[in-house]
Amino acid sequence: MATIAPQKAKARRRELTDGQFALMIGLPVILLLIVIVAYPLAYSAWMAFHRILFFGGYRTKFVGFKNFATVLNDPEFWWCTWVTIRFTVESVILTMLLGLAIGLLLNRPTRFGGVWRTLVFLPWCVSLYGAGLMFAYLARGQTGLPTAILAHLGMQNVPDFMTTRTIVEVLAIGSSWTMAPLVGFFVLANLKTIPKRLYDLAAIDQLTPLETFWNVTLPPLRFTLFVFTSIATVLSMKLFDLIFVLSAGGPGDASSTLTYQLYKVSFINLNLGYGAAMSFFLLLFIIGLTMSLYLIWGRREKQI
Amino acid sequence: MTKRRPNFVIAMTVLIIWSLLPILWFVRMAFMNHAEIANFPPHIFPSSFNLSSFVNIFGYDYKLADGSISAASGQAGQIELGLQNSIIVSAAVTLITIIIVVPLAYVFARLDFRFKNVLLNAVLLAVAIPPVSTLIPFYTLYVQLGLVGTLPGLIIIDLTTTVPFVTWMLIGYFRNLPPIERLARIDGFSRLHTLLFLILPLARSGVAVSAIIAFLFAWNEFTFALVLVNGTPATTLPAAISGFLGQDPNPAQLAACILITIIPPALVAFFLQRHLAEMNIADPVR
Repeated sequence: MATIAPQKAKARRRELTDGQFALMIGLPVILLLIVIVAYPLAYSAWMAFHRILFFGGYRTKFVGFKNFATVLNDPEFWWCTWVTIRFTVESVILTMLLGLAIGLLLNRPTRFGGVWRTLVFLPWCVSLYGAGLMFAYLARGQTGLPTAILAHLGMQNVPDFMTTRTIVEVLAIGSSWTMAPLVGFFVLANLKTIPKRLYDLAAIDQLTPLETFWNVTLPPLRFTLFVFTSIATVLSMKLFDLIFVLSAGGPGDASSTLTYQLYKVSFINLNLGYGAAMSFFLLLFIIGLTMSLYLIWGRREKQI
Repeated sequence: MTKRRPNFVIAMTVLIIWSLLPILWFVRMAFMNHAEIANFPPHIFPSSFNLSSFVNIFGYDYKLADGSISAASGQAGQIELGLQNSIIVSAAVTLITIIIVVPLAYVFARLDFRFKNVLLNAVLLAVAIPPVSTLIPFYTLYVQLGLVGTLPGLIIIDLTTTVPFVTWMLIGYFRNLPPIERLARIDGFSRLHTLLFLILPLARSGVAVSAIIAFLFAWNEFTFALVLVNGTPATTLPAAISGFLGQDPNPAQLAACILITIIPPALVAFFLQRHLAEMNIADPVR
């Protein structure tokens, strides 16, 4: 009896199909995620269709699409959209170039490789809050490195980069400084899978280093580069901490990206309905941009 | 390939300088005293190396070389509290993220099932939502649930970001693991058993990298911490440090604080960095 029972139990246990197993593991998490994510979205949607007043007692009034119309007619919104696009493009290009450089350089075998890798990784360990402070001190004429170097050389100039003309570039450099190591390490991991014999073949064919890079190194990296271009785009467009600390949208509104403008509208002006409506435009831009990246580029990489 | 060329050495040096410069600029500030920082034009190197800022921020007075005393920071209590909470929050977020994400990414990467793409897009949508736009809804929800100013509240918020983000990164990695499922089935392993005892050991690097990403995110999260836990007993380090700016404008101590926040993630990175170099998400070349 004792020997038969386990066998019987085994026979009765049905095998799960792939789908059942996947749903068993994935569904609870995803449902929870949807609830956690859907709630704020639904709440924002509700706010976007209402006018919310605090002064003279809290009251709300349904206003339909009025908030959305106000956003579209607001020149400030379009200015912030332009700043966001400028910042995102600069930040993504810098991040990807730096990431590629990090990957290629770290792929060379060196002594103390672990130490170099950790040092290159360090910027990612710095919070966006900390990075914002660092770049603010570095870029400001009063406290910055350029001024210090010039003064060291005996010159009186005070190069200040926290100006309306260059502040977006300072932000882009700061954000790519923190994001590039992430890209670099994934590129490095991808590079390591390229067999050495391909480089031997390239040497036999007498390819120049540039040709080798273009024909041997780059093609296998394309998928990783696509994924991280998307990730860098999303992260740049929703970046807030760095801008909040580094420039607070200033000087004037020179660096006020949509995220910063959202903060200003919702938390300083307490214009919640308008802010919520604007946040949907930002979300639309983020999704739209990643979708177009996918359609233009990602679709051609077979693995998705 | 292995022969060292001057170009490579120069490029590597530039890369290291680029990576360290902003941090070194804060190291320099942290060693300076009040008058030196305010000095114009700024010096490149501090004239004296005093550790006063590092001692001050933990609540101790420091006797300077000239006999005067650099007073302990009034923020010391908040910083110690923040440090303690940050460690708790980051550890919890890291652990929970791994437990959730590894099976999730595995399922997305290796199994076929209905609604897979819909569910995957739902996960990715969560990555796209900017925190500024969910701040007010979350705050309202948290007031109703009594989660404002609590560590579990912050941990849940952090998870809503780390889980989708890390899942996104792990899927490609899992796809590249050797296809051992069928062999495991023939040997009579159940799917759960296959995942836990065969796939998981193979995927160590993926797990390690998830840990790094989740830890770094939770450790450095600022926006939600500022709104939800700042000024409460659940304050985390970034929120506590932001108190410096408004209440006690002391750049040297601020710099010292920021430097201290880099140490724990740097240690995590140092011990796990070799796994980062294993995180291939693309098809390997054949």
